[in-house]
Amino acid sequence: MKKNLTKIALFLSLGLALVACRKDEETIVVPLSAITVKDLAADTVTGLGIDGRPQSAGTTTYYSLVDNKVIASTEVASTKWDIAFSSTKILVNSGTSGPGLGGAFVFKGLFDDLKTIPADSSFATDNSNAASFAIPLGSGRAWYTYDGLTTLVSPIAGRVLVIRTATGKFAKIEILNYYKGGVTLPATASVNDKLFKQRYYTFRYIYQANGSKTF
Amino acid sequence: MAGVINIITDATMGAPLTMGLRFGTYNTLDANIETKLQTKNFQYQGFINSYNTDGYSIRPNSNSRVTTPIDRYSTTQQIKWDISSKTNLVLNTRFTNEQIQNEIAVANNGVTIYSIGKEKINDVNASATLNHRFSKTLKTSLRTYTTTYDAVQNLLTINGLPYRDVLNHNFKRIENQTDWDVSKNMQAVFGTGAVWEGVKSSRYDSEKVRKQNDIQYAFTQWEWKPSEQFTLIGGVRFDQNTQFASAYSPKLSMLYKLNPQHQFRLSVGQGFKAPDFRQLFLDFTNAAAGSYSVFGSAQAQQVIAKLDALGQIGNLFPNYYLLKALKPEYSNGMHFTWDWKINSRSAASLQLFRNDIKNLIESQQVGTYISGAQIYSYLNIGRAFTTGFEIEGQHRFNSNWSVNGGYQFLLTGDKDQIAEIKSGTVYTKNSQGYSRLMKLNEYVGLPNTSKHKLQVKLNYNSPKGYYLNVRAIYRSKWAVNNNNGNEVFDNGDVFASGYVAINSAAGKSFKNGISVLAGVDNISNYIDATNLPNLPGRTFYTSIKYQLQKINKK
Repeated sequence: MKKNLTKIALFLSLGLALVACRKDEETIVVPLSAITVKDLAADTVTGLGIDGRPQSAGTTTYYSLVDNKVIASTEVASTKWDIAFSSTKILVNSGTSGPGLGGAFVFKGLFDDLKTIPADSSFATDNSNAASFAIPLGSGRAWYTYDGLTTLVSPIAGRVLVIRTATGKFAKIEILNYYKGGVTLPATASVNDKLFKQRYYTFRYIYQANGSKTF
Repeated sequence: MAGVINIITDATMGAPLTMGLRFGTYNTLDANIETKLQTKNFQYQGFINSYNTDGYSIRPNSNSRVTTPIDRYSTTQQIKWDISSKTNLVLNTRFTNEQIQNEIAVANNGVTIYSIGKEKINDVNASATLNHRFSKTLKTSLRTYTTTYDAVQNLLTINGLPYRDVLNHNFKRIENQTDWDVSKNMQAVFGTGAVWEGVKSSRYDSEKVRKQNDIQYAFTQWEWKPSEQFTLIGGVRFDQNTQFASAYSPKLSMLYKLNPQHQFRLSVGQGFKAPDFRQLFLDFTNAAAGSYSVFGSAQAQQVIAKLDALGQIGNLFPNYYLLKALKPEYSNGMHFTWDWKINSRSAASLQLFRNDIKNLIESQQVGTYISGAQIYSYLNIGRAFTTGFEIEGQHRFNSNWSVNGGYQFLLTGDKDQIAEIKSGTVYTKNSQGYSRLMKLNEYVGLPNTSKHKLQVKLNYNSPKGYYLNVRAIYRSKWAVNNNNGNEVFDNGDVFASGYVAINSAAGKSFKNGISVLAGVDNISNYIDATNLPNLPGRTFYTSIKYQLQKINKK
């Protein structure tokens, strides 16, 4: 009899927990919709050097995913920015890049399919001294490929940048395009277009403000 | 590889003197003289050719030309000596001297370096063949061949850095082939040979060190003809190499003549393509363009480990640990041919084919330097197939007019990529840049291959010596660039558009041995500078040829 009672009690508490859960979810489910940022300039090209290399000022564009706006580069030593862009290099507010709690890793799959960040995911941080970044540099490694023949940069399909923000919350990003106007130039585009229309990021992202890993 | 050229000479003695001159667009001048002399036991054949062209560029304002200005002189001498009625000796030499003007643009990581300079090439070949017939059923042939190819490229880049590229390639071969008529319906061929090949190049480590590969090989082929209708041929060849794995190439083919109109042939076999010296020994760092490096597989691990010990390596990729001695690329093929002689004026043939290729040698990035510059080497990684059919036909309308043509349908694919697409791990992007899963029916196969190719040629010959021909070539679109965010070629990638090129020529042969010809290639002036750099626009040419009529008194 005692056994039965315990069973019933357990059953009841389970039921309560389930109800509680359902209630909880109802309050959480704020429809998170993706925000698209268009033509974010990231150290755009100023001219062609005598060595044939594109020249630029070497600037970095800092961005707040929380407020969806550009942060002045004078605020680099703050937690106001979450992610930063400089040509094909993407930084997160962590390690050698900034004082924040940032981190990132590259998820292989679709943006919409990444509903919850897996529990065993590990977020890397930036260390410019060892040329090691949370979002690795180079063609074919993180988010883009570079074609030496056409000199064009294309985002890799099926890659999501999972970001831990400067304040330790989570966001996911898909880079959509690297060229002004959001359309990759044709292989036959002029040298001038290839030079001056590159380094304009179009990306979409979802920021989860409640600190959970679920989008 | 450079320097190995088959010697093809005309063994049937024709006119004692032939002269030809051809002149065309881009100041292309091609002149040659051929002489043939004959005594009872000796035959001599000499050939001199001179070729000069300004080259061309079909990109407006471009400073690199597709075909560069070339001056080339070559001469061939051949002597055949009939030592006895059963034995003869053939000696052959060939010498080519070439000068090429180079204007080169190299691009890497957005850096383009322009260079100008000259390339000088000397190519010398010599061969000796001793033929002997022991009896009606047994003959043998001993062949030796040696060649040396020297190329020096001296360039000056626009930032003033000199660039010198030296290549010296030696190739020596000795081979014996014996033909034996075993019985009335059985023939056998046996052969064995050895090759010594060496390359010295500034791109391989040092121009002073010779990289060497030795090959020994043996082959045999048996032909059995049990009846007039049926022939069976089987053969095998074995190649043993010092630098990469040895290889067997077996082949079996059957011919069946149903009747005078129809015959069928089926053949299956395995072939291989050896890794070349570049894939084995290249040691090249392009300081002028981003300082990327390419190391041949024979020494890549060693060289990279050394760089790593010096603290120069930033990152090693997983496939660095897969580097090992390259295997040859193997292709297993099956071909079926149906020849149909429809009537005395028309014939047609159908060929079905399927080739499966494994161990495809591909260059892959295996790591990066601290600076981020790429390091490449070569690995046996790919598996691919090609399959399709070909139809050929010819028809003679009357004694003046005839037509012939062919059509090819081709499907290709990378088997590993197809497996990845099926497993749902290949993505593509839509026009907004959003990723989605790629479907198998979007896959287009290997790049640079066209599904459809068609060629038609119309000929006219008059009894008075006038002739005319018109040839049309069609090639359907082909994939050239992968730009939609995955490694596979699919409908969303960049294609070269299909095209038609029409060539035509007309001329007359006179009874006194002179013949004249004028022609125009690419009449519609189709130009695609990006994808078809070797197809110049409309090109005119004219040629005159004189053949001394036979004066030999035999």
